[in-house]
Amino acid sequence: MPAFAFSHAALDPGRECAALADPACGGFASFEGWVRDHNEGRSVMRLEYEAYEPLAIREGERIVAEAVARFGVARAACVHRLGDLAIGECAVWVGVSAAHRAEAFAACRWIIDEVKHRVPIWKKEHYAEGDSGWVNCERCTAASLQAADATKHDAESGGDLAPAHAHGHGHGHWHAQGFGHAGGLMTAMDYSRQLALPEVGAAGQAKLAAAAVLVVGAGGLGVPVLQYLAAAGVGRLGLVDGDVVERSNLHRQPLYGPVDVGRPKAEVAAERLRALNPDVHVTATIAHATADNVDGLVASHDLVVECTDNFRAKFLVSDAVVRAGKPAVFASVHQYEGQLQAYRPLPHWPCLRCLWPEAPRDGLVGNCAEAGVLGPVPATLGALQAMAALKRLLGLDAGEAPALVTVDLLSLETRRLLAHRDPRCDHDRPGEPSVPDDAPLELGFTTLVEAFESGLELIDIRESWERAHDPPGLQIPAHLPLSELVQGHAEFPADGRYLIVCAHGVRSLSLTEHLRAQGRRDVYSLQGGLAALRS
Amino acid sequence: MKEIEVQYFAVLRERAGRSRETVTTAATTPAQLFDELVVRHAFGLPRAMLRVAVNEEFADWSRPLAAGDRVVFIPPVAGG
Repeated sequence: MPAFAFSHAALDPGRECAALADPACGGFASFEGWVRDHNEGRSVMRLEYEAYEPLAIREGERIVAEAVARFGVARAACVHRLGDLAIGECAVWVGVSAAHRAEAFAACRWIIDEVKHRVPIWKKEHYAEGDSGWVNCERCTAASLQAADATKHDAESGGDLAPAHAHGHGHGHWHAQGFGHAGGLMTAMDYSRQLALPEVGAAGQAKLAAAAVLVVGAGGLGVPVLQYLAAAGVGRLGLVDGDVVERSNLHRQPLYGPVDVGRPKAEVAAERLRALNPDVHVTATIAHATADNVDGLVASHDLVVECTDNFRAKFLVSDAVVRAGKPAVFASVHQYEGQLQAYRPLPHWPCLRCLWPEAPRDGLVGNCAEAGVLGPVPATLGALQAMAALKRLLGLDAGEAPALVTVDLLSLETRRLLAHRDPRCDHDRPGEPSVPDDAPLELGFTTLVEAFESGLELIDIRESWERAHDPPGLQIPAHLPLSELVQGHAEFPADGRYLIVCAHGVRSLSLTEHLRAQGRRDVYSLQGGLAALRS
Repeated sequence: MKEIEVQYFAVLRERAGRSRETVTTAATTPAQLFDELVVRHAFGLPRAMLRVAVNEEFADWSRPLAAGDRVVFIPPVAGG
């Protein structure tokens, strides 16, 4: 029995089931899709199915083989009807036999979902009123056919977008004005307004449909990135986020609402995106990107959009895309400003580490929680990231020089600062944690006396004028102004264990970070500075 | 002495209390200029963590400065 077949005659589930019998199997699950008498409020009298058989059979067999490998089941098969079907007839049958029921159920569900999504089959509904229409049902044909073209174009234009999946099939399709019925391709989406752009057109849309994009972080930046990439018809979207929706997210992440509070962002976002564009195949990973999962995630996508709010993740992703040779788009925001940087795996292109050789420590420069943010700021930067991603997928960024783009939403000034590859940069440091992360950088004390008793030597790095008004008895004898250090007029003592002190704990933290980056241990910053101590 | 256009981003802007200024300076490199401004504005970040761009291009801290150069000090930004 073939793994995937079409049948012009009525299906016989009993016979199909018998063909999967196996003495080693303790579980069998099957699914039947039946012809229903209504759809979207209209009475349906009968259905007509047609397929592009050579491609459909190949794709169907691939799906079944993938399911067997993925779920470790014994046998699986799928049969799909073609031609005219009456109400109540079985249109599609999937069966899976396995040692245990759990894999059988899971594989069965997965096969029918993938078949619906990937196999080029069209359905025409005949309505009670006598008219008929092709329905946005099973997928993709034109995208599949043109994806091959798109790949070819990309190679010709020297693009660095290798297809993530060897077979490079498209997942998705489109509807151009006046094109839908004739081609039998009607979807929920109408891409005509972007198809009208000469740089997009049908070939560009096929490239989008064939593309797989990984979005790391579904927060202020990630929300617009996900929305616009899904709406544009990017075939496969992978999203990674380990956070749950919090009330304080809602003002800048309007994909979520109060009812979602407490639910994983990745799960909610995936639901919304599937509703937004049913053409798009969305895979949600409810976890933070880590050294353990990042390479696998990057490998199965063509392009990565980095939308987290921390340096640890940004450098982790940068290292992974450098290793994998995949393009990426980075962005971050601070209050009313943002930075945007595209990475391409080209010999002259700088990576994130070329630009920031000393991976900054989180907390040093403030995140949205500490520094505050207005929603449109990450929304603007996220939209720019989505645009950069579409440009890469469509090949519209040819000739663009590597740069860091800064955007100030108050003055509306943007700057494009040309960046260069750093010949000293090693680009990827797999053995090293992406950001140094050992002993705490800061120590908190309630009084100065307690700090003195900690066994660490206190060293005051404030400027002289700041020390002038210290109350007697609360003075720190060791004084080394930061300005002297920065200008090279003084050096931090080479030995000893120090607690570095300043007014609010900002300068002391940055100095501590700097010393740690140079390999110093046993230096700490007084958390919150002198202002945090009880006098 | 020469006039240099200086622009600040993120935490540096907050520290300086302005996003740009024209500085009259004897500094011959971005490093010297930054060291001068560190004292004036009490910047909280060491130079090693920042990048400098001169005339819209990332530059070395020791590159020579000329009158009228546009210098931008850029701290890393993480928020999202």
